[in-house]
Amino acid sequence: MTPRGRSWVLLWLLFALGILTWIVARQTSSHVTATRLNELREQRTTLEARRAELLQRIRRGESRAVLVPKAESLGLHLPRDSEMVRITVPDAGDP
Amino acid sequence: MANPSVRLDVVKFAFAAGLILILARAVQVQLVEGPEHRANADAQRTTRVSLPAPRGALLDRNGLTLAATQEVYQVGLARDQLRDPARDIAAVAKALGLRRRDVERRFRGRWAAIPGRYAATQVQPLRRMGGVHLDGELVRFHPNPGFARPVLGRPGGHGRPASGIEAALDSLLTGTPGTAVRLRDRFGVEYESPSRLGAFPIPGHDVVLTLDADLQDICQQALDDAVDRLDAVAGDVVLLHARTGEVLAIASAGPAARSATAVSSVFEPGSTAKIFAAAALLHHGLATPFDSIYGEQGTYVLGRRTIRDDHPEGWLTLQQVVERSSNIGIVKATRSLTPDAQFEMLRRFGLGTPTGIEYPTESKGLLRPPHQWSGTTAASLAIGYEVAVTPLQLAQAYGAIANEGVLLRPALVREIRRPDGEVVYRHVPEPVRRVVSSEVAAHLREMLRGVVYRGGTGDPVALTSSEVAGKTGTARRAGPDGYIPGSYTATFASIFPADDPQLVMVVKLDDPRGVYARVTAAPVTRAVLEQVLATRSPALDVQRLASERADERSLPAVGAGSAPFVTPWPAPLEPDSVGRRTVPDVRGLPLRAAVERLHAAGFRVRLTGWGRVAATQPASGAAVPMGALVTVTGAERPASQ
Repeated sequence: MTPRGRSWVLLWLLFALGILTWIVARQTSSHVTATRLNELREQRTTLEARRAELLQRIRRGESRAVLVPKAESLGLHLPRDSEMVRITVPDAGDP
Repeated sequence: MANPSVRLDVVKFAFAAGLILILARAVQVQLVEGPEHRANADAQRTTRVSLPAPRGALLDRNGLTLAATQEVYQVGLARDQLRDPARDIAAVAKALGLRRRDVERRFRGRWAAIPGRYAATQVQPLRRMGGVHLDGELVRFHPNPGFARPVLGRPGGHGRPASGIEAALDSLLTGTPGTAVRLRDRFGVEYESPSRLGAFPIPGHDVVLTLDADLQDICQQALDDAVDRLDAVAGDVVLLHARTGEVLAIASAGPAARSATAVSSVFEPGSTAKIFAAAALLHHGLATPFDSIYGEQGTYVLGRRTIRDDHPEGWLTLQQVVERSSNIGIVKATRSLTPDAQFEMLRRFGLGTPTGIEYPTESKGLLRPPHQWSGTTAASLAIGYEVAVTPLQLAQAYGAIANEGVLLRPALVREIRRPDGEVVYRHVPEPVRRVVSSEVAAHLREMLRGVVYRGGTGDPVALTSSEVAGKTGTARRAGPDGYIPGSYTATFASIFPADDPQLVMVVKLDDPRGVYARVTAAPVTRAVLEQVLATRSPALDVQRLASERADERSLPAVGAGSAPFVTPWPAPLEPDSVGRRTVPDVRGLPLRAAVERLHAAGFRVRLTGWGRVAATQPASGAAVPMGALVTVTGAERPASQ
């Protein structure tokens, strides 16, 4: 094999090594992306579950079954209609 | 072989043969056996999975989530994959809120399946733990666990049939599943394959219901309180929007309340059906509201049947017959109706036919055609027997009276939206038919108003800030073997406000202590209406409630400086008929206190200026009809005037 031939083989080997390095880097990057995607998905699921828990607590706290007894314990009561005053907002054209 | 060139040729040949062999094997592996090897490799490293699509959400009319989809997990443990079994089992037990002993007891050999489903927040600390296997599943989540559950129902699955709206709109709510290829590493942890994306799951359509969460809460709470307080067996409340037929609230209580009994269970409406008999008489021109009928002093024999009134009556007008709920009066009045005319009117009001609401198990009620009637059926129908309705049907029928005589199809679905938010369906009022003319409807409303405000059986519902029209009904309850002795259904059907209806409500209580609707169902109606007035629900147009009163009923203008703010008071149509009252002295009081005092005294109020009250018109001490307008002048005048 002439020196020229050995150089040629070396070039091919370097080229093959470069290709392999590029493939491995690409796969590694994909793996990292996939892992990150998975983590984000899990995070979203967890946050959604947290939101659901909070939503449930808010609704329970807002419900009359909870609010009315608490209000009554503070001396408040549900208004009778004679205790309500409805004031209409005038139209822009009204004097 | 000593010749070097020969030896070199042999080596070359050997290399060439080796290369050919390698190439041949490569061709065999890559091309011939390639698909098989690829499949084996894929099976080891990748899995193709079906991605379940989230079900569409159910929302109330104001956008509040009533039902959504949530991912929960089943947890499994593989003992030989745990790095430190004792420590890991303790961590799992802590995260899932279990006792360590209970987790250890679940092991069958090397594998343990932990019972129950766990939220993502609970399993989050376990995700990276070797030997812990999580199996995700999408389930329905209800932020208000008890909220309108019979109406919302549940999706099918796990051997259970679907029910409620979930069943009725299942094909819309169900999404399209996606597919994905997952990579598995040597630890068994799965990742999305970035190079082999499948189809994304497409969520189902979101459905906006006509229900109003606030009003539903009010109705359910009032009903639960009443059922509890009155020892009732069960009860229902239906609240409709008078002008659109939209169901704003639908509450059920009692042992059968797992389904919406307001839609699926029937009862005899009793005296609430008298208004339909009156409608037939007015519609056919056989009577006017002011025609007189003799009440027979409380006992009337019709064939072999004796009809009685709780309160003996003499001469009554048709209007008073309805107002005082005289059985004898309405039976005698309807004798001028032919069976066909009586049947047709009940049918026109929607009795005996399903309303068409989007609910899978609606009952159509019971209304027999005239050829199946007995000799007393006409009389029974006039007083609400031998006919069975659902609370929703009764509300729909009263809705026709509220809606100028036009029957509307009740609706539970307001909007359907695609996952991208595009609205594919929006409810518009669906008139079924004109039942009676608007003039007859107005007469009927006036009769119903009299039930509440002219000494009728509905007086507990007489609000002082806006007028209610309604009718009581107390009917014997039927069981499998005929009427149950001493057991009654109390009903109150109402229209609010009486003159410009916005709401129609039916309250029904089965076997309440106190029996009569006047003291059982009517107070529930009042409680609900008062709370509805106090809420800021967009379903009730408070501005219209107030302003129309002010516009239509106000006294002549009070001149320059008249009120920019008007607090109206509903005047009876015939103020003189309910007596006169003295205007109280409210001078010096703050406006709010003055308005409250004048309201309590039975007057409408018009405000001018602000600050403390300087004067009233009519002046304090003047005797004016109840419901008349009193103009209250504040000490301070509007700056613009």
